[in-house]
Amino acid sequence: MSLPLHVSDLQVSTPGGRVLLTCSLFQAGPGETIGLRGPSGAGKSTFLYALAGLHPAMTGHIRWGDTDLVQLTDGARAAFRRNHIGLIFQDFLLFEELSALGNAALATSFNPASKRRLIVNTAERFLKSLNVPADARTVDSFSGGERQRTAIARALAHDPAIILADEPTASLDRKTADGLIEDLIGLTRAQNKTLVAVSHDPHLLERMDRVIDVEDGRLQTEAAGV
Amino acid sequence: MSEALIDLWQNLSPLSQDILWLAMLLLPAVATGLIVTWGFRPGALAGALLWRFRWTNLTFIALIAISIGIGVGLIAQERGLRKGTARAAEKFDLIVAAPGSEITMMFAAVYLQPSDVPLLDGDIYTEIATHADVDLAAPIAFGDSYLSSPVVGTTPQFVTHLAGELDEGRMFTASGEAVAGSRVELQIGETFEPAHGVGDSAEEEAHAGHAVKIVGRMPPTGSPWDRAILVPVESVWEVHGLTNGHSPEHKTRIGPPFDADYFPGTPAILVHANELWANYALRSEFTRDDTMAFFPGAVLAQLHSLMGDIRQIMSVMAVLTQVLVTAGVLTGLIALARLFARRLALLRALGAPGRFVFAVVWSYAATLIVLGAAAGLGAGWIAVDVISSIVTSRTDILVTATLDWPEFHLIAGFVSLTVLLALLPAFMAMSRNIITDLRA
Repeated sequence: MSLPLHVSDLQVSTPGGRVLLTCSLFQAGPGETIGLRGPSGAGKSTFLYALAGLHPAMTGHIRWGDTDLVQLTDGARAAFRRNHIGLIFQDFLLFEELSALGNAALATSFNPASKRRLIVNTAERFLKSLNVPADARTVDSFSGGERQRTAIARALAHDPAIILADEPTASLDRKTADGLIEDLIGLTRAQNKTLVAVSHDPHLLERMDRVIDVEDGRLQTEAAGV
Repeated sequence: MSEALIDLWQNLSPLSQDILWLAMLLLPAVATGLIVTWGFRPGALAGALLWRFRWTNLTFIALIAISIGIGVGLIAQERGLRKGTARAAEKFDLIVAAPGSEITMMFAAVYLQPSDVPLLDGDIYTEIATHADVDLAAPIAFGDSYLSSPVVGTTPQFVTHLAGELDEGRMFTASGEAVAGSRVELQIGETFEPAHGVGDSAEEEAHAGHAVKIVGRMPPTGSPWDRAILVPVESVWEVHGLTNGHSPEHKTRIGPPFDADYFPGTPAILVHANELWANYALRSEFTRDDTMAFFPGAVLAQLHSLMGDIRQIMSVMAVLTQVLVTAGVLTGLIALARLFARRLALLRALGAPGRFVFAVVWSYAATLIVLGAAAGLGAGWIAVDVISSIVTSRTDILVTATLDWPEFHLIAGFVSLTVLLALLPAFMAMSRNIITDLRA
């Protein structure tokens, strides 16, 4: 399943009413890879989290296909993420007490029984293709690269159409980061998924179809690659 | 409908009633668990949280366990003490004494906590002993002691009535002989000189020269009589310089019949009727101006019914204390929930329903409560053993308290109540701002 993105008249505010980000128009086709760059505090992550439907105070429209996240309730947004979005974070956010598979197949805990087998199988497949140790070890003994690969497998395990990544290489050394970029881009392209990644890493941004600058809470220029 | 239900309930065996009660008390906990976790598998994540904060969690479990252990231990103990005091009074069907306080006399004659009381004379004793309905009328003459053992004057028939066959040796057959209770440290063949009075005020030298020899030992009775030394009542009278209950021609006789003219008096007479119903007739007959007759069992029942009120208060206080401790623990959990708020926010970001986060936190808290309650059961078992041995050694009343259905019911009620309270931290964890927590 592929989902085109159409954002219009978006305004994201704090619960107190302060405006964090505005975006009059932004579009992305299914399977596109898009980088978001800009100084710290410019609103990149805010835009990314808005695309995931995580901000409680939003107006305007964020349409993934026919679904407008802004109009949905919290529960419906969570259901949308559960079905269509995979998230990757800068500091991995793994459960240290679980194994690689335990983390990658985390969604089995809250998905219906009918989907659990598929999620586990997909998680196993991605862990294998990403060369993550598949033993029963907990991930607290893993290197940074192994942890982020585990996080990628978790983001892909439920076969989402959209991958949203927040500084996925920022906690990794150069060599590990480059390897991870190859894996992330390779997998998303091979699976025809839409990737939106916030990053300061030029190595990652140069592999994107497009890069958007975000400054002072606004989406600025668009460039085809860097 | 309700009457039919009551009939049905009353037709069940006590065991079935207890099991059903337990199930009903646990039902809210089980139902809450099923409703909260329905459709989810929060076990692995709750387990991860338990492991991550294992030392804090162990402290929480220990706090719950100790509060439950002490609570159920005390309640079981109270029941054990009631059974122990009742068992100790079992052989004392009817006591006749001079008018006064039934409780004072019961403590003196049954539990051997002597007091100064007026004596019954020989005529009254003879009247009782020769009554057609009376099977056994034994004087119980307390007031002397040897170290911590009360020395009680009575008859061979009473010794047999109290303890049955002797464990060792033989019955006393002469003044100057004694049968020891099972926990008396004197061995057969050893002699001692009784002191006048008991405890700190005992006059050690008062009966100097009246050596008494142990010739037999009673089996354990689980009552203060295990620490007593039983001598012929004649011996007690003699060491006090009185006539010994028999005329000069029969002065070496031990036991009944006594001669009213030579009967110096006894503080209490144990009466055993030949028929159960006769006890009531005898009590009426000897409840009069110069005598008081009472059933120690009935006096004890009155005391127990008074204690019953206290027991209910104790039960409520025990539950309240446990709930307070658990409320403290749950407050701690709310603080702890901040530490794993980022993980919970992650779950929400990955698309987990709010109810799933709720289920994880609730399962985590409920596991602490259930483990604490289970450990509390163990702690209660130990507490009961320790308190029983202390009470037994202090009172000489054998208290064999064990945890039983009331304690299981109490714990089940506690679990149900507190897992409902655990909904609160779960709710608070669910209501947090996802973005704030993700960026924390």
